Amino acid sequence: MDSNKKYWKGLEELNQTPAFVQSSKGEFSESIPVEDVLNEEGLSTKTPRRDFLKVLGFGLGAVSLAACQNTPVHKAVPYLIKPEEVTPGVPNYYASSFNGQSILVRTREGRPILVEANPNSVGLTQGTESATVASVLDLYDMTNKLQNPQINGRDVEWAKLDARVIEALNKSVQAGKRVAIVSRTINSPTSLAAIAEFTNKYPGTLHVQLDPISYSGIRAANEASFGQAVVPSYKFEQALVVLSVGADFLGTWLDGEEHTQDYIKNRNYKSLEAGKMSRHIQFETGLSMTGTNADVRIAIKPSEEAAVLISLYNEITGSSLAGGIQQANAATAIKLAAQELLKNRGQAVVVAGANDVHIQTLTNAINAAIGAYGTTIDLVNYSKKYQGSESEFAALLGMANAGQIGTAILWNSNPVYDYYDSAAVKQALSKIDFTLSFSDRADETASELKAIAPASNFLESWGDESSKVGYYTIVQPTINPVFNTRQAEVSLLNWAGNNTDIYTYVRNIWENSILAGSSKTWTDILQTGFEFKGNATAGAASFAGNVNAAASAATTAAQAIKAGDDFELSLYQPANIRDGRYANNAYLQELPDPVSKVTWDNYVALNPKDAERLGLGEKSTATIKAGELEIELPVLAQPGQALGTASVALGYGRTKVGKAGNNVGVNVFPFAQVNAGIIRFANKVSISKASRIYELAQTQTHHTIEGRNIIRETTFAKFLQNPASEAGRFSDDHKTYDLWNKYEQPGHKWVMAIDLNACTGCGACIVACNVENNIPVVGRDEVRRRREMHWLRIDRYYTIEENGQGYTKEDDIANLSSYENVSVVHQPMMCQHCSHAPCETVCPVLATVHSSEGLNHMAYNRCFGTRYCANNCPYKVRRFNWFNYWNDSRFDNYLNNEFTQLVLNPDVTTRSRGVMEKCSMCIQRIQAGKLQAKVEGRKVQDGEIQMACSSACSANAMIFGDANDPNSEVSKALRSERIYYVLEEINVQPNIGYMTKVRNSFEA
Amino acid sequence: MRNISSVLGKLAKSISVGLVLLFAVTSVSNAQDASNGGALFKANACNSCHAVGRQLTGPDLAGLTDRREESWIIKWVHNPQGMVDSGDPQAVELKGKFPTMMAPYSHLSDDDVRDIIAYLQAEEAKAAAKKEQAAAQGGGAGGSQGASTLMIVIVSVLVVIVVGVSILLSRITKTLEKVIDTNKESIDVATAEYAARGSKFGQFAKAFVRNKKLVFFAVLMIVALLGVVGWKTGWNVGVHQGYQPVQPIKFSHQIHAGVNQIECQYCHGGAFKSKNASIPSANVCMNCHNTITAGDHYDNDSGISPEIAKLYRAVDWDPETRTYGNDTRPIEWIRIHNLPDFAYFNHSQHVVVAGVECQTCHGPIESMEEVYQYSPLTMKWCIDCHRETSVDTDNQYYDQLIEAHDKLKKGEKMTAAMIGGLECGKCHY
Repeated sequence: MDSNKKYWKGLEELNQTPAFVQSSKGEFSESIPVEDVLNEEGLSTKTPRRDFLKVLGFGLGAVSLAACQNTPVHKAVPYLIKPEEVTPGVPNYYASSFNGQSILVRTREGRPILVEANPNSVGLTQGTESATVASVLDLYDMTNKLQNPQINGRDVEWAKLDARVIEALNKSVQAGKRVAIVSRTINSPTSLAAIAEFTNKYPGTLHVQLDPISYSGIRAANEASFGQAVVPSYKFEQALVVLSVGADFLGTWLDGEEHTQDYIKNRNYKSLEAGKMSRHIQFETGLSMTGTNADVRIAIKPSEEAAVLISLYNEITGSSLAGGIQQANAATAIKLAAQELLKNRGQAVVVAGANDVHIQTLTNAINAAIGAYGTTIDLVNYSKKYQGSESEFAALLGMANAGQIGTAILWNSNPVYDYYDSAAVKQALSKIDFTLSFSDRADETASELKAIAPASNFLESWGDESSKVGYYTIVQPTINPVFNTRQAEVSLLNWAGNNTDIYTYVRNIWENSILAGSSKTWTDILQTGFEFKGNATAGAASFAGNVNAAASAATTAAQAIKAGDDFELSLYQPANIRDGRYANNAYLQELPDPVSKVTWDNYVALNPKDAERLGLGEKSTATIKAGELEIELPVLAQPGQALGTASVALGYGRTKVGKAGNNVGVNVFPFAQVNAGIIRFANKVSISKASRIYELAQTQTHHTIEGRNIIRETTFAKFLQNPASEAGRFSDDHKTYDLWNKYEQPGHKWVMAIDLNACTGCGACIVACNVENNIPVVGRDEVRRRREMHWLRIDRYYTIEENGQGYTKEDDIANLSSYENVSVVHQPMMCQHCSHAPCETVCPVLATVHSSEGLNHMAYNRCFGTRYCANNCPYKVRRFNWFNYWNDSRFDNYLNNEFTQLVLNPDVTTRSRGVMEKCSMCIQRIQAGKLQAKVEGRKVQDGEIQMACSSACSANAMIFGDANDPNSEVSKALRSERIYYVLEEINVQPNIGYMTKVRNSFEA
Repeated sequence: MRNISSVLGKLAKSISVGLVLLFAVTSVSNAQDASNGGALFKANACNSCHAVGRQLTGPDLAGLTDRREESWIIKWVHNPQGMVDSGDPQAVELKGKFPTMMAPYSHLSDDDVRDIIAYLQAEEAKAAAKKEQAAAQGGGAGGSQGASTLMIVIVSVLVVIVVGVSILLSRITKTLEKVIDTNKESIDVATAEYAARGSKFGQFAKAFVRNKKLVFFAVLMIVALLGVVGWKTGWNVGVHQGYQPVQPIKFSHQIHAGVNQIECQYCHGGAFKSKNASIPSANVCMNCHNTITAGDHYDNDSGISPEIAKLYRAVDWDPETRTYGNDTRPIEWIRIHNLPDFAYFNHSQHVVVAGVECQTCHGPIESMEEVYQYSPLTMKWCIDCHRETSVDTDNQYYDQLIEAHDKLKKGEKMTAAMIGGLECGKCHY
């Protein structure tokens, strides 16, 4: 039953490049340069033997001397007055809110150490996005944040700053100039109330919202189509057919993780057991994370997005608008997709990623035709997360240049970096009499301004958010402000003459307006974290837009990026650092891209054939030119990239964000184009080879698979016939022989089931694992040396499908025309806690041993670093500490300083140099859960103990539990026919079961 | 005049002390049992609000009988609120001064109250006597000043003696040198004889070195000795059993846990909830020590022991005005029980789940004046206990394990070791 599909991790493996062969040979032996020392030259140096003895003698002496020091005296300083709710050693949880999601913040002895989803909330309730988990680190980013307010780069007292600001504001008002507040979208009732009070005091204040990644095209299109300038809520749990044109809706487009949670409900093991699976068709340029999860993926150029939608519209409505797609492959797919969409009317949705009013209008027309409004798209309970408007900002720049703006206040906004025309912003700012930023650091924009009033981190602030109509979440502080910072709302209220403390202010807003008429009290809100007014019923909307005009305008607009022989450039938000606002978060910088597995850099992704044509190989760099703009970027040959296109990630190339993020990658915001006041992240560019050699820190082929069959994939049709299709399990009569005695697990047997169909590859689990288990960040150079420390990785496997058939033989692959049609499987891989673990038998000091609960223990204090276990691990999940990452000045810009060390989980040891480590199955959580049960004198309940990874997974792809409890969720999951064990044939008896990937492809 | 008045004052004081003592004696002879009174005073927690010679929550009870009639006192103790309500002028005045109303102690008989009064009078007498003594000691202090002059005298006498002796000695050496000069020849002969005798030891050493077996044996013994010593010290590297550092406050577990029988949990509540037993925060100390200002050891003038004063300093508590200030200074205790960072230990697992007594690991803590590390805290010590300790079979958590265990080993006890208590991951992660 073995699948004969060929999977590969990267092109170098597929093509067996010399460098790859070389490095895979040395995969296990990170050789010590003994030969260099002991070769002829080394021996013929003057006195190698004497030097050796000297060093030996000195070493022995130094070690003995160092050992002679007195035992240090440890102080224990208890609280003077212990807060009633704090018990040292026991975590407290506080409900708060991040990016509109209700979260729980775990604090230990008053310092926040982990963020998890609030499971009882609304919207995204299971799991978070990677940035949310990583956000605790930003609180401790003390070396880069401002410790005091500043005027002209000099620290001042708040009183002085306030006086200066009020003076400037009054001057502006007296001079008849306007005050402007520029911010990202603000949906917080408290912040809006503060702005309103401020506006009252200083009449004529302009509030302009600018989102670096704008969705103004959607809002404009909805205004034209339905008279509502809103970003709707998408309900993917209702959608059995999803068609996306360039929208990375599981990742970075709108609420990616919430979409994932909903989308997976029609694709996970429960849905499959019920015989139901949605179909997902993706048209896109670069291979996005969403594209990797699609059942059918067609590579198109950015300029073809409009054509795809026009063809689809024609197919669905039977009209014949001009400008349809020419490409045969896409045309066939559109025909089939149209049938599907029509068949599932009311259970289908089409989304488009381009921030273009015409393309979005076409999408609206299609969605209206397939009855998506009121079912899969909700215009009534719309999202309030993206209300930015580039045209308003452009108008503001005009006013500033005309000298009409007296004071500008930037709040959470950094246009000098993330606006496409940075020079225009700088020029306009210089024309304003007084400028101030609430930025917590002197970033690209703030450093150009006259004053900075550093705002506190969200974990230090009172506030609220309202990401959707009728949904309110509270932000409550979990720590006192560490530095002399003040939250922006307090500053605004102060300048408006209102000195109410912020707690009372927020509480009044909640009690007087949000909670009015509700049975909940303020204390309820502090405990539960949110207030949900209930969805108003979403009605169908009638489309009133002009399709013909939109189609022809979209076709014309496409000409602007059509490149002919050159390349069409697509700019995208990376899954980790997004639009650059998380650029200084080391956890996120080191989180590999879900598809390319590149860390710490952006690059230009080209189709391998294009790269070959331009003479670009591994470690090449390329010059990218568009008009005046010219940048140099490393090249990545990316399978799945549309021919004639290039993709580059935004958010990199920041210069004033902090030690970790400064000068990482290149800023490509300037390549964005503005079309009728709406920004679009596409352009046409020419690409040529550059001379520099640059190695990307890419984790993809750090571990070779030697062609082993570790991915099992089937199609939905085959699955319906035989649920065990392609699972490739041994039949019961297959005889196995054991060298080892069987382990008894009389109490618990901790296991995990991973649903490959649910895992989208987003990487939130990796960050959660890092934060929970004190996993160090090692930096770009160390990643290049294959020394990343992640206990959990997500392996991404490519396979090629062309003309509906999988390529299996290497000869066929050599004759591929484009590498455009690849499909991808993501496989989370961590310690499999084998019952017959190969690592255990080779450890000379018994540092890694088996437990009676089915876990593979790792005693760090016993390990002395032979690395035999890592060499003997078939899954390559063991990580070696080459340095004392937590206490080594060479890693200072990442996590090694007295502030960032506060993020460490006190229940987990930090490992020192020369020690092996690996996934412990969050043993600290297991032990804590068991203890809780013992204290209460009861059994452990299923679901009570969650791993850091599983609780961060919005797709619920990782199911953890006790296999000795037959009714546990994981036991049920492991009984699924889709279950297989990776490398089962070597009989190491892993405790992590994987469920086959099922693809609902067209049966053409 | 001043002298006369001070003499008169002293006289009056001693007379009054004598009178009080006389009264105390007579009151005892009146069958009022001061010791019973003392017991009642403590048993009814009167001492949490009252003291003799000091005002706490309630008024100072010194000179009580001078101020009030005995019948009034009895009535008041039985029903203070009632007296206030009835408009008794003294009661109303008291209520005005001390708004925190005293609870009625109607269960005390009239004689009980009399006993308490007797006790209070005895206490007052004792305090006065002590003051006298202190005054006498004050004179002693003057004496001690005299003592310091005495010291100077002694030192100067010593100096004189030393100088005298050294002069004498130098004379003697000079005389001896003269003697040597005159008898040089006979001395040389004697020295040569001595040298010849000394070489006998050299001969013995030479003979020893020639005897290979003896040398081997000696070397073996030395190596064995070094080995044993090395082995013993080697095993004890990093073991700090008996570690007893000097703490910033001389806190005595013997008084708190031993004499006063305070439950461990009262201060170390963390041991029952958390991995940390936690040193109590100073506010826990202040629960009692806002009234208890000194133990028997330190009954000095101010009524505040210097150690408790350190606590007051830490929380910035002013015992006179009974208010807290803002100039707090956390107490930096020296940590006695240090586990390495790579070992995870959870108190609640041991104290709540396993029901281990605090004393099992911390030793006879209730008799320790100063705490020392009782147990070695080595891994061997942990494991030895895990091998022996049986699991609490009443805890439903263990049901499944007990079932499995019963199948395998009928009758034997199930120890922590049998259910994974020796596995690395129990403590190291």
